Amino acid sequence: MSVPLMTVPGEAPASHQSAAVRASGLRKTYGTGETAVDALAGVDVAFARSAFTAIMGPSGSGKSTLMHCLAGLDTATAGQVWLGDTELTRLRDEQLTTLRRERIGFVFQSFNLLPVLDARENILLPMQLAGQRPDSNWFDAVVARLGLRDRLRHRPHELSGGQQQRVAVARALLPRPDVVFADEPTGNLDSRAGAEVLDLLRSSVRETGQTVVMVTHDPVAAAYADRVVLLADGRLAGEIEQPTADSVIDALHGLGA
Amino acid sequence: MRAVTLASLRAHAARLVASTLAIVIAVGFVVGTLVLNQTSRDTLLQSAGAQYVDTAAVVTSRDGSSLAGDVGTLAAQPGVRAVEPSWETSVQAVVPGSTGARYLTVDSVATDPALRWQQLSAGRLPTAPGEVAVSERAKAAVGDRLEVRSYDTTTGEETTSAATVVGVVDLRGDPTAGLYGQAFVTAEQAQQWGATDPTELRIAATPGADDEAVADAVRDALTGQSVTVRTGTGQAEQEAADLSGDTLALTSVLLVFATVAVLVAGLVIANTFAVLLAQRTRDLALLRCVGATSRQVRRSVLGEAALTGLAASVVGVAAGIGLAAGVSALVGSDSPIPLAGVSVPLYAVVVGVAVGTLTTLVAALAPTRAATRVAPLAALRPLDPAPLRSRGGVLRLVAGLLLAVGGAALMGLGVVLGGEDGVLAALAGGTLSFLGVVLLCQRAVPPVVAAAGRLLGGLAGVPGRLAAGNATRNPRRTAATATALLIGVTLTTAMVVGASSTRETAAAGLDAEYPTDVVVDSGGTDPLPAALPGRLAALDGVTRGTALTGATLTGPDGEEAFVEGIDPAAAAQVMRSTTKLSPPALDTVLLPEWQAQSWGVAAGDPVTLTAGDRSRTLTAAIGDTEVPLLAAADLAGLSPGAPVSAVWLRLSASADQEEVVDRVTDLAGTDAPLARVTGLASERAALDEVVDVLLLVVTGLLGIAVVIALIGVGNTLALSVVERRQESGLLRALGLTRGQLRALLAWESVLVAGVAAVLGVALGTAYGLVGAASVLGDVGEIVLSVPWLQVLLIVAVATVAGLLASVLPARRAARTPPVAAIAG
Repeated sequence: MSVPLMTVPGEAPASHQSAAVRASGLRKTYGTGETAVDALAGVDVAFARSAFTAIMGPSGSGKSTLMHCLAGLDTATAGQVWLGDTELTRLRDEQLTTLRRERIGFVFQSFNLLPVLDARENILLPMQLAGQRPDSNWFDAVVARLGLRDRLRHRPHELSGGQQQRVAVARALLPRPDVVFADEPTGNLDSRAGAEVLDLLRSSVRETGQTVVMVTHDPVAAAYADRVVLLADGRLAGEIEQPTADSVIDALHGLGA
Repeated sequence: MRAVTLASLRAHAARLVASTLAIVIAVGFVVGTLVLNQTSRDTLLQSAGAQYVDTAAVVTSRDGSSLAGDVGTLAAQPGVRAVEPSWETSVQAVVPGSTGARYLTVDSVATDPALRWQQLSAGRLPTAPGEVAVSERAKAAVGDRLEVRSYDTTTGEETTSAATVVGVVDLRGDPTAGLYGQAFVTAEQAQQWGATDPTELRIAATPGADDEAVADAVRDALTGQSVTVRTGTGQAEQEAADLSGDTLALTSVLLVFATVAVLVAGLVIANTFAVLLAQRTRDLALLRCVGATSRQVRRSVLGEAALTGLAASVVGVAAGIGLAAGVSALVGSDSPIPLAGVSVPLYAVVVGVAVGTLTTLVAALAPTRAATRVAPLAALRPLDPAPLRSRGGVLRLVAGLLLAVGGAALMGLGVVLGGEDGVLAALAGGTLSFLGVVLLCQRAVPPVVAAAGRLLGGLAGVPGRLAAGNATRNPRRTAATATALLIGVTLTTAMVVGASSTRETAAAGLDAEYPTDVVVDSGGTDPLPAALPGRLAALDGVTRGTALTGATLTGPDGEEAFVEGIDPAAAAQVMRSTTKLSPPALDTVLLPEWQAQSWGVAAGDPVTLTAGDRSRTLTAAIGDTEVPLLAAADLAGLSPGAPVSAVWLRLSASADQEEVVDRVTDLAGTDAPLARVTGLASERAALDEVVDVLLLVVTGLLGIAVVIALIGVGNTLALSVVERRQESGLLRALGLTRGQLRALLAWESVLVAGVAAVLGVALGTAYGLVGAASVLGDVGEIVLSVPWLQVLLIVAVATVAGLLASVLPARRAARTPPVAAIAG
């Protein structure tokens, strides 16, 4: 299920065949008539498998909306989204929910964890919802890599912000999803804790071939990625391969941000 | 700020509808109870008063002596137009169409039109001897000829005469109508049928004469005699008061329940306002940001509470009056508590509005204080997801423990003491300990919910585990929600258990007093036909019967005595209890007290009975029997072939007792025209019916408290749904389906409701048993009974209702989009 063996010819451009997630003609409109606002005004984009991609753009550029649509959290007004060879835009809520817990991992900016569950239960939650048992070696490996072994019995309010985000990363990585979406994962952290989380995301891509897509407005965070996709006014506004903080800042200036 | 108050009322009208429901129901309950009480009193006064409406004065003998001699004296008093003694007696009458004789009470009809109070539904009142008007219970029609057997009260001599039914009297609504038929005849006829010594005189006044003046004149004329003189109105009030003793007790019980409903509503309203204000934390903080003082915010919120309470109370008053009218129409006048129309006393309206408004205000105080402590900056901060901790007051814990333990001790004392003091002690103890329990709930409920939650977590998977966690994350709120439900369930269970024990005890007492359902005896010297016992036992509705044989023997004093023989084994199966009358074994004779005295024997002494040349010496026993009773075999030895003198019957509990008694009367009347049918089958049925009706009413009323509490469960869940919007979004994003999210809320609700129901039922059973034990202590042997089926039903209903209460909040939660996790 996790690796598409073939794509339907003619539906997807050949260059995107190895993409983990892609969108074509993606449009999202809020409101109707004169007050209608295009959050996304026709976006075509693909995210390579086993790569770390950052989505950047000024406030209101539609980067969060793009991520919500790509992750099946929100429905598009027009256009298509594929996860591998599954077209998300055709799925009903029930199927989307199942797909999210089996094939997508999430790390949010804040409020990532359920306060009534301890760290271990939070990490296992998506797999338990799917009725799956985690591979215990893999669980131990993930927990060890994220340095959470001593924190598994703690409730979220007993953890620091950085620890909470690491629990969220562990939860996202554990089911080995097709893609992990991270929405401003370092937005609420100090720079050291932030760097730790970004390192963990990058090493999961390098060492285990995980696909990660991250929305951020922080050029330093974006520099951890293999590629940066720039968004402005709901449209694609360029991309940078092997970004550095400086090249990202320059590109953003070019967008008038 | 008034603009803000009104605007927020308008904006939250829909939410307020659900929350005002609690107030409406509680106020409706209070007002309904007060109105029903007044209605019942007015109805009694009216129906009791109907007899005395045109009566100027009534003279009643206090010592039972005859007032017949005073008629002349009184008739001469100023303002007195007529003096009519009330001649009362009773007869056995055979009504055409049925053969057995029926017992009829006989009362004389006045000749003065003002004193003829009887309402006719057919025909006219009797004007001459030989004419009779009967009540509907006598089941006779105009034109029927009755065969009447009357007895001379001094000689006991029986006379048979005939009377023609000329009218049927409508006694419906008359609380004194009773179980027997009534016959109304002329004074002359009543005296022919054995009426002597009238103890009541009714006096009609001349037109224009004042009732009080007439009563005074009568009182003066009778100075020195042991009589009571009242005006007609005064007599009506007196009778209504005598009759409404029961109603009054019921009203105070109902008011206790009404208080409970108000208390529960208060808890629910407090929770509801917490819901409303939590949803508006940011609004309130924004108000503070733009310059409202916390005083102004508080006043605005309290104003909202007052207006809500007032509006809901007004609706509640209307609902209560409507409820009373409905109950009155449904129950009608044909019930143990007669009701006709509705009487709405002003105080009921005032009390209703005041109670509702004040309860709302008081309940809103705590949430308002919390809400107005909101810092202006809260408007700009996201909600704090950290779990709230309950600061359980030590004071509360100590007070709760003291009250619970002290109250329980008082209850124990009440059971031991017995009597009226015992009941009072148990009542006080029950109230105190229950207050203690309510205080302790804050501490006790969360751990129990947590324990039940662990159990649930193992059963219901991830949603169950999450539900268990959620149910305990805000212990104070969970405790308040559960307490509201617990109060209702506890009292309902206490009522059901108490009533069940009361009924069993009363039934046992009745069984001991009257062990035989129906007795058919020969009513004279002629024996009953030998085939009658078998035919009676075969009747539909008769479970079994046993025949008694009778013979006249000579006692130890040389005098003749009529004795009966009984088969002890067969009798044991017919009798419901052998506590007071144990059928004699062989060689034993059971003597009535008076017979033992006249023979000069005590229990255990030998008694020799002789019949001609046969004689037998038996051991004496003393019991509740009318004639000496010995084993049938012993009697057969003394008087071989002794004929059947009586038949004892046991009726089936499922049959209509009155119909079976009528069938028995008809059959006995055909085979043995002089046979008498007596027994308490109908009283037993009536007792069951009264307890059933009371239980139904009380359970229904307490159900209201449970309904209010469940609105509270729904409200609490609604609050949680609002507070956990982000969390719900996160769960949805992580793959919880809508169905699972609904299940989560449902489990949470079932957990809280189920724990409250189980705790409530356990407490209620204890209270019910203690209550029954203390109240019934002096009635005799107490039979404690727990109706397990009903108790289980209460648990099931409360839990399922909790599930239903989760439906709306769960639907709202399931609509949370996954994006809410990020958007906040």
